[in-house]
Amino acid sequence: MSVDITRLSDGVDGIFIRNARFNTTLISFNFYMPLDKERVAEYALLPFVMTTCSNKYPDFSKLNYKLNKLYGAKLEASAEKVGDLQLLKMAVSVIDDKYTLDGEELCAQACELLMSLIFEPKAEDGAFFEEDLKREKRKAIEHIRGEMNEKRIYAKKRLIEEMYKNSPYGVSKCGTENQVQKITRKSLYKAWKELISSAYVRVNVIGNSLPVGLFESITERFGEIKRENITDCFNITPTRKAVKVKEITENMDISQGKLVMGFSSRTYGDDIKTAPMLVMCDIFGGGPYSRLFTNVREKMSLCYYCLASSVRVKGLITVDSGVEKQNADKAKEEILKQLEAVKKGEFSDFEFESSIKSITDSLKTYDDSQSSLDLWYSLRISSEKAVSPQEMSELVSKVEREQITDVANGVFLHTVYRLMPEGA
Amino acid sequence: MRKEVFESPIGESYVKAVHPSGLTVYIMEKPQYTSAYAVFGTKYGSIDTKFSKNGGETVAVPEGIAHFLEHKLFESEDGDAFTRFAKTGAYANAFTSFDRTCYLFSCSDKFYDNLAILLDFVQSPYFTEQTVSKEQGIIGQEIKMYDDSPTWRVMFNMLTDMYHNHPVKIDIAGTVESIAKIDASLLYKCYETFYNPSNMFICIAGNVDTEKVLKQIEGGIIINAPVTIERGEFNEPEEIVKPFVKQSLAVSMPMFCFGYKQKIKTPDRSLKTKVCMQLLLELICGDASPLYARLVKDGLINDEFETEYFNGHGYATVIFEGESSNPERVAELIKEEVERIKSDGIDKKLFSAVKCSMYGDAIRRFNNVEEIAMQLIECAMCDYDLFEEIKLLKTVTSDDVLRRLEFLDNDNTVLSVISPKEG
Repeated sequence: MSVDITRLSDGVDGIFIRNARFNTTLISFNFYMPLDKERVAEYALLPFVMTTCSNKYPDFSKLNYKLNKLYGAKLEASAEKVGDLQLLKMAVSVIDDKYTLDGEELCAQACELLMSLIFEPKAEDGAFFEEDLKREKRKAIEHIRGEMNEKRIYAKKRLIEEMYKNSPYGVSKCGTENQVQKITRKSLYKAWKELISSAYVRVNVIGNSLPVGLFESITERFGEIKRENITDCFNITPTRKAVKVKEITENMDISQGKLVMGFSSRTYGDDIKTAPMLVMCDIFGGGPYSRLFTNVREKMSLCYYCLASSVRVKGLITVDSGVEKQNADKAKEEILKQLEAVKKGEFSDFEFESSIKSITDSLKTYDDSQSSLDLWYSLRISSEKAVSPQEMSELVSKVEREQITDVANGVFLHTVYRLMPEGA
Repeated sequence: MRKEVFESPIGESYVKAVHPSGLTVYIMEKPQYTSAYAVFGTKYGSIDTKFSKNGGETVAVPEGIAHFLEHKLFESEDGDAFTRFAKTGAYANAFTSFDRTCYLFSCSDKFYDNLAILLDFVQSPYFTEQTVSKEQGIIGQEIKMYDDSPTWRVMFNMLTDMYHNHPVKIDIAGTVESIAKIDASLLYKCYETFYNPSNMFICIAGNVDTEKVLKQIEGGIIINAPVTIERGEFNEPEEIVKPFVKQSLAVSMPMFCFGYKQKIKTPDRSLKTKVCMQLLLELICGDASPLYARLVKDGLINDEFETEYFNGHGYATVIFEGESSNPERVAELIKEEVERIKSDGIDKKLFSAVKCSMYGDAIRRFNNVEEIAMQLIECAMCDYDLFEEIKLLKTVTSDDVLRRLEFLDNDNTVLSVISPKEG
């Protein structure tokens, strides 16, 4: 069953997922802004500044003390890319009131706390405070620099940068170190103003019951703000087929090389259109029954991992693997050979059925996790109705072999990125 | 099977059953859930490099063999377990840690078919020289991947300079050299010792029927004569090896792992000690503590900062880890704070807040079938009641916590640093 979306204010929607199995309630505010190379760093910094202090809790130790007293309520902040949009998330999760030892009203307090962080930031005269800005800028810069530490993640990030060099999707989700350096107290405050006035906002609430007055209070808060130039979430630019495949090799002082390949896919967009793409990608390099696992890893022992994944909203498929330098070309060749096999429909009924069973089984487990449900619905904003994981599971179960080969025949190698050990 | 039902004041309950073979089974039904999570495990991990079976001679085996065995058990004469799980759609996996090896699946459909596969493949070893040699290549790649992981290296470098003899200092997967010594007969020797039902457990949480599960397990367990296992003695001195270790890797800023080696008289820690140590860590540098505020304000730590009471059979270490431009200064400030709490005592207001937070966390863990199954494994490994932690958190006092501050000896620490490569 699709989930109903309630319009709370201009460009502000709420979803309530009643789910009695959990002993906590999750309230998640998702702000969507267009990915903009010039502004990405400022917006990305906001959730972190906003969840460490506010007018009411000017000091992060006091805020954390309050969260402890709320039986370990969890505040979450993140900045992600969703297609050509930037998603800035601020959420709180709190245990249900009935579990408290002294009958405290935790949920109401947690909602109020989150609202105060979002709508009443610690600022004066149109600027954030220097100490908060300095602290969060330092952490953001350390985070950006630290992206090179885990080579697998780093290699994938570099592939995306190279593959989308001149388009918004190529920007790093937190911006560059240089951009973070340039953020000022005033420019960040301006970014906050833009965020609450022009972001498309989706509030996901998952739990036993909708906190009393929450949606009304969100309506009231946004009613006080002049909402304008609201983000258009329907504007998606797909990945175009490369005129010439780009090959990039970089060296680092490491012992295992990384080979990452990016493919454009003619199929892209929302769930209904892309269910076959999900299956195609999984047969190619998803589970242990996939072409890449059984051939590249098991039969040829070329790598410990070799996985395909897709960003369907962009029409992007990536394959990433850890390989010895001398095996990189062989692995690349074999990966392409396996893609060709899928294109020709040379996959067995076992591979096809295993893939469908694995995806449908895993989609059914989404209802058992609040964070999975929150993530699911925060990625589904470009249609009027949000398809549920159960509905997606049904769509996947109806996918036919021909649809897989159709999708596969629209998949083309775009960019190859190698991160290799230095020396011979 | 001998059955016992445990109930909690928060409305959860589970069953513990003991099979005549000695296998222990823990099941928590969660009928409102769609999925279920099942684990078949053995009390056998990377630290079991020396052992004797049924009072026989002590044998030493190559480092990394428990992990190697885990990889190989997925294979049987007529195909691998992944292929069998692929037919049901379940997610299957396995992991080896210091003291345990676990095989698991998660599914929302065909639970009993999956349980049959799990019971069967874990009890059907099939090792040949040919399959062993193929695995050496794959695990060699896995080891190399970990060689490049600074978070992994910083921890093992610390353990290496903390423990003289205890195998906790050895990488779980072993080394390319040590796994080269593994052959099929060694794998069978380890399997026949540690994969005896009397040394094993099954933990299940989710949408299942306890009676049906128990019946299936009764019919599916191969009864072997129980074994007695004598774990190797490692004569570990109380003192560390050396207080500082540094390695250069391709990282952006220094990473550190700072640990206190606890002087222990007995091999295992009680649940009360574990709970008190977690509270203590929150008091020393949890996110509401004065030290945490100082470290952040001085620009010495970021969101990567973490603490852990790392303990198992024969080892116990209090760990602080993260990224810092000045790891030495972080270690110094932690030491000062330990001394300060020793002399000033515990801040009662903060103690009550962190206790409240841990209580909430303990309740929150019943939200997720995987988390529940993981907690049931702890119960099976250490033989305690799943709800004991919630009960303890209601009664534990600041004096209980303060008493354990003596485990942190400022003269028995190791600071491990991974520094960026120059140039």
